[in-house]
Amino acid sequence: MMKNKWGVGSLLFVSLVLSACGSSSDETSGETDDQSGESETREVEHAMGTAEIEGEPERVVSLFQGANDAAVALDVEPVAIVESWVEQPVYKYLRDDLEDVDQVGEETQPNLEEVAKQEPDVIFANKDRHEDIYDELSQIAPTVMIDEIYGWKDTVDLMGQSLDKEEESDELLTEWDERVEDFKSQMEAEGHFPVEAAITNFRADHARIFYTGFGGGILNELGFDRPDNHKEDTWGVKLTSKESIPEMNADVIFNFNSGTEKDEIQQTYEDWTGHPLWQELDAVQNDNVHNVDEVTWNSAGGYLAANHMLDDLYEIYDLEENND
Amino acid sequence: MSYLLKTNLSKIIGAAIAVLLFLSAFLSSLYFGQTAIVVDDIVQAFTSFNSSSTNHIVILEERLPRAVLGSVIGACLAIAGALMQALTGNPLASPSIFGINAGALFFVVLSITLFSFTSLVHIMWMALLGATAAGVIVFMLGSLGREGMTPIKVVLAGAAISALFSSMTQAMLVLDENGLQQVLFWLTGSISGRSLDMLYPILPFIVVAVGVSMFMGNALNVFATGEDVAKNLGQKTTLLKIAIGVIVIILAGSSVSIAGAIGFIGLVVPHITRGIFGPDHRWLIPLCAVLGASLLVSADVVARLLIMPEEIPVGIMTALIGTPFFIYIARYGLTKR
Amino acid sequence: MGRQINIRTKKNTISFQIDLKSLIITFLLMALTISALFAGPGFGDPFFSPVEIGQSVFGIGNVGNEFIINTLRFPRAAVSLLAGFCLGIAGAILQGIVRNPLASPDIIGITGGAAVAAVSYISFFQDTFGIQWLPFAAIAGALLASLLIYVISWNEGVTPIRLVLIGIGISAAMQAGTMLILTMVPDYSASQAYIWMTGSIYGASWEGLRLLLPWALLIVPLIIMYSAILNVQELGDDTSAGLGLSVQKHRLVLLLSSVVLAGAAVSIVGTIGFVGLVAPHIARLLVGRSFSYLLPSAGFIGGLIVFLADIVARTAFYPSDIPAGIFTAGVGAPFFIFLLVKHRNKF
Repeated sequence: MMKNKWGVGSLLFVSLVLSACGSSSDETSGETDDQSGESETREVEHAMGTAEIEGEPERVVSLFQGANDAAVALDVEPVAIVESWVEQPVYKYLRDDLEDVDQVGEETQPNLEEVAKQEPDVIFANKDRHEDIYDELSQIAPTVMIDEIYGWKDTVDLMGQSLDKEEESDELLTEWDERVEDFKSQMEAEGHFPVEAAITNFRADHARIFYTGFGGGILNELGFDRPDNHKEDTWGVKLTSKESIPEMNADVIFNFNSGTEKDEIQQTYEDWTGHPLWQELDAVQNDNVHNVDEVTWNSAGGYLAANHMLDDLYEIYDLEENND
Repeated sequence: MSYLLKTNLSKIIGAAIAVLLFLSAFLSSLYFGQTAIVVDDIVQAFTSFNSSSTNHIVILEERLPRAVLGSVIGACLAIAGALMQALTGNPLASPSIFGINAGALFFVVLSITLFSFTSLVHIMWMALLGATAAGVIVFMLGSLGREGMTPIKVVLAGAAISALFSSMTQAMLVLDENGLQQVLFWLTGSISGRSLDMLYPILPFIVVAVGVSMFMGNALNVFATGEDVAKNLGQKTTLLKIAIGVIVIILAGSSVSIAGAIGFIGLVVPHITRGIFGPDHRWLIPLCAVLGASLLVSADVVARLLIMPEEIPVGIMTALIGTPFFIYIARYGLTKR
Repeated sequence: MGRQINIRTKKNTISFQIDLKSLIITFLLMALTISALFAGPGFGDPFFSPVEIGQSVFGIGNVGNEFIINTLRFPRAAVSLLAGFCLGIAGAILQGIVRNPLASPDIIGITGGAAVAAVSYISFFQDTFGIQWLPFAAIAGALLASLLIYVISWNEGVTPIRLVLIGIGISAAMQAGTMLILTMVPDYSASQAYIWMTGSIYGASWEGLRLLLPWALLIVPLIIMYSAILNVQELGDDTSAGLGLSVQKHRLVLLLSSVVLAGAAVSIVGTIGFVGLVAPHIARLLVGRSFSYLLPSAGFIGGLIVFLADIVARTAFYPSDIPAGIFTAGVGAPFFIFLLVKHRNKF
């Protein structure tokens, strides 16, 4: 009896193995979607390999916030996107363009079936989030992986290459560089530089200083320095004691509060900013603390958000942008 | 059972040393930290407070609440552990092993994420409810079966219930990533950045519970000779057991509602105290309070110094200190009995 | 102790009937598992009939369905069933060694070790070495933690009680370590780690199945050969030694197979909770204590639990695809308490 039962059991396993091998070998075929006939095939090198993209892809799926943003920047309407972290389902600044676009779940675990149903021509995903589903995604459509969650320039660049919009993407990045140059020279001229900036953030039970990340990276590019104690190559620190407030010291502080527990966060924010040690910070003494938007400065992580951040900075420093 | 101090005189001296130990832990908690402070600052902060001196403010508004909360919670947890060990005759009984911390924590997270409670008092009641639920379930599970409540059964039941509640907590937080990042420190157990305001609403309960437990020494000593003997001596053991249960729930539940899950204090301290002062509960309970306070306050000082400016949540510190101790008791303590 | 032997003798006098019943139930569970494997991929939007699924698996179906069935849903069904199978058997073995129905890999520190290793890997090494090594980090963590538990428990042999108590202690330390890492890493690593710790079948692939299957094929037959010994083991140290078994050696072999099975399962799907605890318990109620039936039944039930949890996880909040571990914990645990209380005399 025993032997029989396990005979059946192992048969089951063997059939599983066979079916596994069988199906994986013929999956690679079936994907050729030759509507554009002879059109050129572009090879896009990305964080996890090379994607071969034919013609001008029309059905674009975006699986992270930065790509949602970049698509709008490149004037592309994706067929599907993932839900935003706050202001669900779509960040307000993208709502005009993306409100009616299909949703395929959350950025952490986007629904692969829904992605497949969209029959995309190309998928934009992020290595920090989607490394383990790259194979599945590649079977659905050529998939371009962006290396880092805040690699927003890469996103624009790779999206341009993939969508045959390199001119547009180059133009966007050049525009950005020009804006950066303009901002820097004006800041220089006004004598605002050198300046050390810090990004702070309050939560229900702790506070943070962001060293790098989206906002920090852009501030550096714009010519802001980081205070010496913020130069460590890590995302930042979490602080729980108000005694640590002096860590936040900088010439200028950009602060955003985040989260859904509004009351508690407001409470933390008031507690910390009401503290005498906070009053001693250089930025506070010189009235250089600026409350900024969490989405723009941190969670959106895209080209448009970067530009909104720069808009904020022009306004904060009361500069007139040179549009030549 | 062997212990260090046998005569009353040596116990009094020992108790005095314990109090000194606590005072020095308390003072270190006022002294050590990111802001450099001299001893004079501490004295002046209390005698001639100067509201423009940030050192004075740091001492009174950051370090003092922390030291006070650490003392209260450390004492509560240690007494709770001692009472649970007396009640169950189980050397491994303590709030965290019994799943009480995990239960309270789950109810609190539930009340915040699902019912959007923001009032501290409501959250505290939820914590007490969770502590009760977990405690009762574990007690019941642990005493099932014919052999009654054996240490291994209670510990397994506690571990299972802890696993249950913590995985449900985890589940709620996976669904709400933002919520997870909001209450990270509180979940891991931390007394940093807590204000004394959190203590006041529950302080009356704590005071009563601690006060009553201090006078339970005689009854506990009788009970410890065995429940049947105690009954024959005229003790109302059921009443005593209920009283102990209520006190434990109040002490452990309110600790969790202020500081999140801080484990192992309730396990470690009663054993150390018993090893020094012996099993007489008239000495044991008050000294557990003193030593529990000392241990948590010291652990908190170390937690804030190791990776400045960040801090290790003190719950993690106590778990790392407590685990070897737990293993030691599991290896050697159980076989002696 | 004497009492249990009596029961067994008593059982033996009517053993034929009971065994037949257990045998039938075991076969039913197996049939259920196989049908789950071929029906499960049907659930979702669109719904597929088992016929379509079969056609698709053997490459003769509608090409349009093939991707969703062959690449997405079928591996998910297979991985969930197999991972649950491993966890169920691992739990049944442990409960046999420890002789307590509350023991399971997630409670005595085995999966805790996997969690520390996996969370460290996700936080510190994944960027450099890629996600494909994550399963190996996890299984290494499980093995190391178990080795630690075993070594610390060793004192002229290992008793089940010491093993469990020390396992729980180590488990607490591992948890503290995990939380410490989680408080220090950036949000996106922490959320990936949390999903891993909850346990998720999301993104399961044939690759995952290929990693998991050899362990199952290797260990399960070995354990079946040991089944007879397990029955004796359940009687405890004194009786086993009396029967002339080299208790320590067998205990080590059993423990090791439990660790490897649990570690392998966890390395693919993350630390899904409660399966190793609940599945053997349900199995015991259905087929009794004889390990020849208990082990496979616990495996099949474990597989079905994870399978159902994953179906719910990917369909309940469509299109959101949430970690399956949420449902094994939420549903498994109350059921488990109910069982314990209802059948308290079976301890």
